[in-house]
This record gives sequence, C-alpha cells and structure tokens, in this order.
Amino acid sequence: MPDLPLANIRVLDLSRVFAMPYAGAYMADLGAEVIKVDSCQAQFMDTTRTLNGPYPGNDPGENYWDRAGTFQTLNRGKRSVTLDLRSDAALEILKQLVSVSDIVLENFTPRVMRRFGLDYANLKAVKPDLIMVSNTGYGHGGPWTDFGAMATALEPTHGAGAFMGYLDTGPDRSANDGGSSGSVPNKMGNSYTDFLASWTAQMAVMACLIHRVRTGQGMWIDLAMYQVGVSFLGEGLLDYAFNGRATRRLGNRHQSMSPHGCYPCLGDDQWVALAVRGDTEWQAFCQALGQPDMAGDTRFSKPLKRWRNQDALDAVISRWTETRTSYQVMETLQAAGVPAGPVLNALQLLADTHWRERGYFETVDHPPETGLGRQEYVSRGWRLSGADVKIRSGAPQLGDSNEYVLERLLGLDEGEVQGLADSGIIGSHPIGGSPAGAVPLQRQAELGWIVDYDPDWPGG
Amino acid sequence: MTSRQVTSGILGGLRVLDLGDGVSGPFCAKLLADYGAEVIKIEPPRLGDSARRAGPFAGDDPHPEKSIPFLYVNTNKRGVTLDINESSGRRLFEEMLVKVDILVENFSPSEASARALNYPTLAEINPTLVVTSIASFGQTGPYRDMEATDIVTTALSGLMYHSGDSDKEPLRNGLDQSLYVAGINGAVATLAAIFQRITTGRGQHADVSVAECLSSHLVQPVPYYNYMGAIKGRRPVRGSGFEELMPARDGYVIPSVQGSQPWSTVAGLIGLEELQDERFATGGGRIEHGEELNGLLIQGLAQWDRKALFQASGESRLVFGMAQDAGDLYHCPHLRERGFYVEVEHPVAGVADYPGLGPRLSAMEYQVTRPAPLLGQHNQEIFCGEMGYTKEDLTVLRQMGAI
Repeated sequence: MPDLPLANIRVLDLSRVFAMPYAGAYMADLGAEVIKVDSCQAQFMDTTRTLNGPYPGNDPGENYWDRAGTFQTLNRGKRSVTLDLRSDAALEILKQLVSVSDIVLENFTPRVMRRFGLDYANLKAVKPDLIMVSNTGYGHGGPWTDFGAMATALEPTHGAGAFMGYLDTGPDRSANDGGSSGSVPNKMGNSYTDFLASWTAQMAVMACLIHRVRTGQGMWIDLAMYQVGVSFLGEGLLDYAFNGRATRRLGNRHQSMSPHGCYPCLGDDQWVALAVRGDTEWQAFCQALGQPDMAGDTRFSKPLKRWRNQDALDAVISRWTETRTSYQVMETLQAAGVPAGPVLNALQLLADTHWRERGYFETVDHPPETGLGRQEYVSRGWRLSGADVKIRSGAPQLGDSNEYVLERLLGLDEGEVQGLADSGIIGSHPIGGSPAGAVPLQRQAELGWIVDYDPDWPGG
Repeated sequence: MTSRQVTSGILGGLRVLDLGDGVSGPFCAKLLADYGAEVIKIEPPRLGDSARRAGPFAGDDPHPEKSIPFLYVNTNKRGVTLDINESSGRRLFEEMLVKVDILVENFSPSEASARALNYPTLAEINPTLVVTSIASFGQTGPYRDMEATDIVTTALSGLMYHSGDSDKEPLRNGLDQSLYVAGINGAVATLAAIFQRITTGRGQHADVSVAECLSSHLVQPVPYYNYMGAIKGRRPVRGSGFEELMPARDGYVIPSVQGSQPWSTVAGLIGLEELQDERFATGGGRIEHGEELNGLLIQGLAQWDRKALFQASGESRLVFGMAQDAGDLYHCPHLRERGFYVEVEHPVAGVADYPGLGPRLSAMEYQVTRPAPLLGQHNQEIFCGEMGYTKEDLTVLRQMGAI
C-alpha cells in the first residue's frame, strides 16, 4: 500500500472500549497494520465484544463475540491476537511484539501498567523509538492519577455541563454557579469525551511520527481524558479567567444570534435547527415565513430586541415549523440564505442525499462465519485527494491472527503456538464468562434505550 | 544535564498559512502551532477575522483585540493582514504560498473558488503544498454551499438528536463544539498528508466536513439501525439513577456502577444502609427496582458535597463524576499540578492563565511563545524582514488596501 500515509507502520493496540480502539481503527483506514491485542479469557476480553451490541436482528448468535456492531465500527481493519497477560510467557511475547511495532496504544490504569511492567520506560528499552499513547481518565501524575474513569461520568467532570443545559429547568444548586444562569447541567452523552480523546491521540501520534522521521526520537503521550476534555472548552475557561463567568447554559439559544434554536416539525420527535445571524438574514427569514410584516415588528426589528424577545419570537417560529417537515423548513430557509437543517436521527442520516452522495458510509463484506453479511459503517470526517483512505475490512474475529503474529512476525514454531493454546494463553473462543444476552427491542423501547424499531427487520 | 532531549515543539520547521476565520480553521492551525509549527495567520485588512467581533470579550469590553474565542484559538501564531482578492495582495500571497508546507482555510466551497483558492490552482503554484479545507458539509455533495452555523451542522450530523433529555427538544452542545471537533480532525488529516509527503514528495488536498466529523461519533446509533432497525434517541428523563446527573448537597454528581467494583462498594460509599440490599446488586435488579433505588439514591447523595464524594469514589476505585464549572476547573488542584495552565500576557487583553495542550508529551514541553496576534502585528516583520519588501512598499500596499 505505497500510496497510503501509514503504509509500513505497525500499531500494537492494547486498548479497550471506545477512545483508543477508534484511534487504532483510523490508523488502519490510513494503511497501518493494526494488531489488536485481546484476550480469550472472557473477563479480560474487550468489553465492546459483548456489552454494547447491537447484534444483527438483535440475535447475538453463536459467535456473539465477533458480531457486535459497535465493536465492528471501533475495530475495523485490524488483526486480532489473543494474549492472557497474567502469564509471563504472554508478557514476553508482548514485548517482542513491541520491538517490531512503531506505535502502542493502551488505556490500562497506571496501576495495571506498572504491575505488568509495560510502562513506557520498559517498552522503550525494547524499542527505543517507540511512540506510545497511554490513555487514562486523569493521566499519569497529579493527585487524581489513580482514579478510574468512564466517559459518561467524565463529561460533566471536565466541565461540559457548565455550558450545556435547558433554560426551563430549575436553578442550579451548585454553590459555584454565581447565579449566572438559571439552569442545571446536562450531558452531550454518546460518550462524547471518548471521541475528543480519540481525535487528540490521533493528532499527537501523527505529529510524533513526523518528529520520529526527522530525529529518530520516540515519544510517550500521556493522554488524560479529563485534561483533553477541558482543552475543548478553552473559551469557557478563558471567560472565567478574564471575567469570572463560570457557566454559560443557554439551552439552544446563542449569546448573540436570534432567533437561534431547535423547533418542532411535522411528525413524531422531528425537529429543525436554525440560526439568524443578522438583520439581512432576518429580513429574508420573515419573507421566507410568508410574514414580511414581522420584519417591521418593533419587538424584533433590531438584534438586541430580538434577543430580548425570544420567547415571543420562538412562539411565532414554532407555529410555522409545526406544519412543515424538517426538510421543508430547511429547503425554504436555505433558499432564502438562512442557516437551517433538520435534526436527523440515524435512519434519516443513513438516507440523506448529501451523506449518500459523498459516500460517507462505507461498506464492509464480512466473512461468512460471522453471519454479518454486508454492512455499512460511519467512516470519518475527512478525505484526502492523494490517498485511498477507507475502511479496509471488518473488525477481526477473536484471535484470527494468532498464527500470523506468533509464527510469521515472531518466529515461534507450531509446537510453541500449540502450547500457548493448550494453556489458554491464546485462543479464538472466549474462555469463561457467559454468552451475551439481548434485551428484546420492545423492552428496550419501554426502558427508553431506543425510541422506535422496525418489527419486520431482517433476522428480527 | 538530563539525558532526555526535550524540544519546545515537535513540528518545528513546518510552515503554515492560516487563512481560517472564526474557530474551525484557526483551531486546526492553533493545534499545529501548539506542536511547534510556524503559523502565519492571514486576516483581511481593517476588520480582520470575524472572531474578533465575537464575544465574550476580556473584561466584557467589545474590543477587536479582546475577543475570547479569538484569543484562545490564535495563540502561538504570527499575524499579517492581506487582501488576497486584490492583485498586489494576491501576488504577495502567492509568494508566501511557495514557501510554506500547509494552507488551512475554512471558506465555503463557493467562497473559496471566488478567491481562486481551489486546490488545483494552489497545487500549480506549489505542488508540495498540503491544503486543508474545512467546510460545514465538505467540498462536494448537494449541501456543499448551504448556510450553516454550529447548531445547524450539529443537527444534520445526527449528533444533536441524541443529546439532551428524551422528553424535551434535542439540546445543542456548548461552545461551538462542532467547530473544535472539525479543527482537530482537520489537523489529523493535515499531518497524515504531511507524513505521506515524506515518502511521495507530493502535496494533496484534505477535504474536511464539520458535519461528518460529528457523524463519526455515532458508533452506536448507526449500527443500531443497520443491524436491527432500531432507532436510538436521547437519554430517558434526567435524575433517574446511575450514570446520570443527580443532585448532591452543593451541586450535581454522577453516581456510577461501572468499573470492576462490586455493588457493596457502591452502596458502602454512598453510605445509606438500605442500599446494601441484594435486590440492587445486579443490573437487572437495579432496573426492576429502579424507582425505589432512585429514591434511596437521592436520599444518600443529598448527604454529600460533590467534591468530597468524587474524592471518596476515586479512593474506593469507583468512577463517579461531578458537575464542575469553569471556576472549579480553573482552580483544579489536579490540572494545576499537571501544569495544564500556561500564563499568557497579551498587550491589550492583559494577563490570564490559558488552558494548555490536552496531552503531555515526554520529549516536548508545551509553551505559549506568543499570545494571539494583534491585527497586522507582524506585517513589517514578515513582509520586510523575511520577504524583502521595503517600508515604502508597505506604505504603497497599505494605500492600495492590500494590507
């Protein structure tokens, strides 16, 4: 693959769950050989193989550990080797693998890394120019270094909730709020912080690869998700530093634009987002609504007046949007040069002409033994004119590259590999644990995990 | 002397022109600058970057050198003014173009074409150039020239549908998150192209879509539909248990059962005797007895201050979170000890501690060597000192409106 940026780069991906596995997947898209080091001991296997689903037709199936859709998205294009790191033999193999790799991604806690002896100093001894990302909740160093973390609880901890919340909720009881806003924190959800960590790790690794070519020097990247999260809220932090303002929760409103918000449309749970940036757009907006007189309404004639009278303004806009589909509102307002777009759910996004025409969703033909058939996945927010960056294959079946890695890369003989299999250090089926379950979709809807489902979905 | 070689910037020697406006392009270029690249920001004469007119402002004083978003996303850059639509301005721009490695811009595709910034034109001037174009919907497709702001791209991306409470309207993420996410994705694409150039010697075009960057977060909702026809939505009503924001005595916390500790540890931490009940020890049990559990949880958490609970959780190897605001973060002992904040002195806005780099690198010391540039601050340094123009030339150019 000479025309791919990461051709001839080998990544050893020891990571679990979302953030770092996704970084590894992008490196595979870019042409790197990414070896995911997993475990066939069920308790140490990447939890996304079993916890998050979803499964085709909501059926985990026999080899459920290779069939979860979120796992597939996060681990596409990789190879899988299994190693039970509780054994010294496995740790020795891992170090040998590090010695023939360029990049290591890991998200163990600092405590676990020390116990395994896999900290950067040790790995650098076997691969002097190694680039290694250690992704943790709070980083190596600092009073909270040994605190564990999950993205869902990290998000408000790193401050996202200080800048996100509905306006119509009660006052925040936080003593630190200073009464600057009348709402309580909310969450972006969807493991938002995991993605910030993933993008940040990718950026740092790319910079370090360039640095390594020029200097021969490797790098240890201490990636604290807490700190990464704060680095994406810089303007909020500086507002505090300069002005002492600690929160800015405006619902869907904006500090200067109005109208600005999310309005109900025809259909169940259908919404449109729109923003008016100034007086010219305001005039066009009123025309587009078929209410040219509103442009002269003294409550709305100037930006500041509109901003102060948003409750009245939003009521007028909602009455208009309610009788239209979200796409109709987009077309009408965009024709008038006003920013507007429907709030798309996954079904609508998958069908949207723009995403289709750009080929954003990429197709994978999965091996028959997975029973996954042909599936489409989210790709990435960018493309390169001079490189065929794409999803190269599905996620690996557990241990599918054990022989390749152990025999071809490390030169073990067949007998040694068989010995590792006999002692459960490597394998291609989970040892222990219980099969993944699937909650019926009707029950998921009752619990609010999903909002709707197609009862006639194939395999359902 | 230490044996460790530490540099102030690992991208030293990479030269970048930042034609970006607002947040997405400038944040991309700031990240490159933060890792050591030499970035020159080009702003239109007179008004400059539109971010200069965006609040909030330092001291709440609406002054073009005091815009907080501008101050944050333009550190470590030098700045010139240049009208690239005007012929002598364009000539200067093309002179700069042949000497740089990267151009970052975030015009809409039609605006970029109107400024003769399309990739083939630029590649003819400098075939080794990496051009990074960040646009709301990318360079192709039916929406390429649609009007958008953060809330509109977030809506169309699919992310917004999943943010907020299920019984209310979808809720926008704070602080123009889409533009920051696009900026860092742009930096990833840019550096991938630069790394590839080491082998090929060729430049290329990175086409970055703000909306698609956010769509890439949908690693659950998209397979939920593709695999089983199910549509994920927003979270069920807030205040409903674990992994959600719940009131503590002085603010909000997120109690969590995730991680590897048993239920007895969770119940023990919260400290309410009734929680030590076998019925709550499994996920299924917690769902089944959700209402009762929720009541006990509220009762238990009300006894705690959020920071004390967070500290106790960490010490018990649990993964509780807490809602912190900018003040908490600014004074956070953990971030302070990690050296996250960097004091920056700006000649007009004054001194403040700025948030630093997300990661810490073993052989790079993060520094802010320059505050955000004043409008046209480095015109003379760059045009005269580095490109050989005379001060008289600059006067002529200024009269023509080129700088």
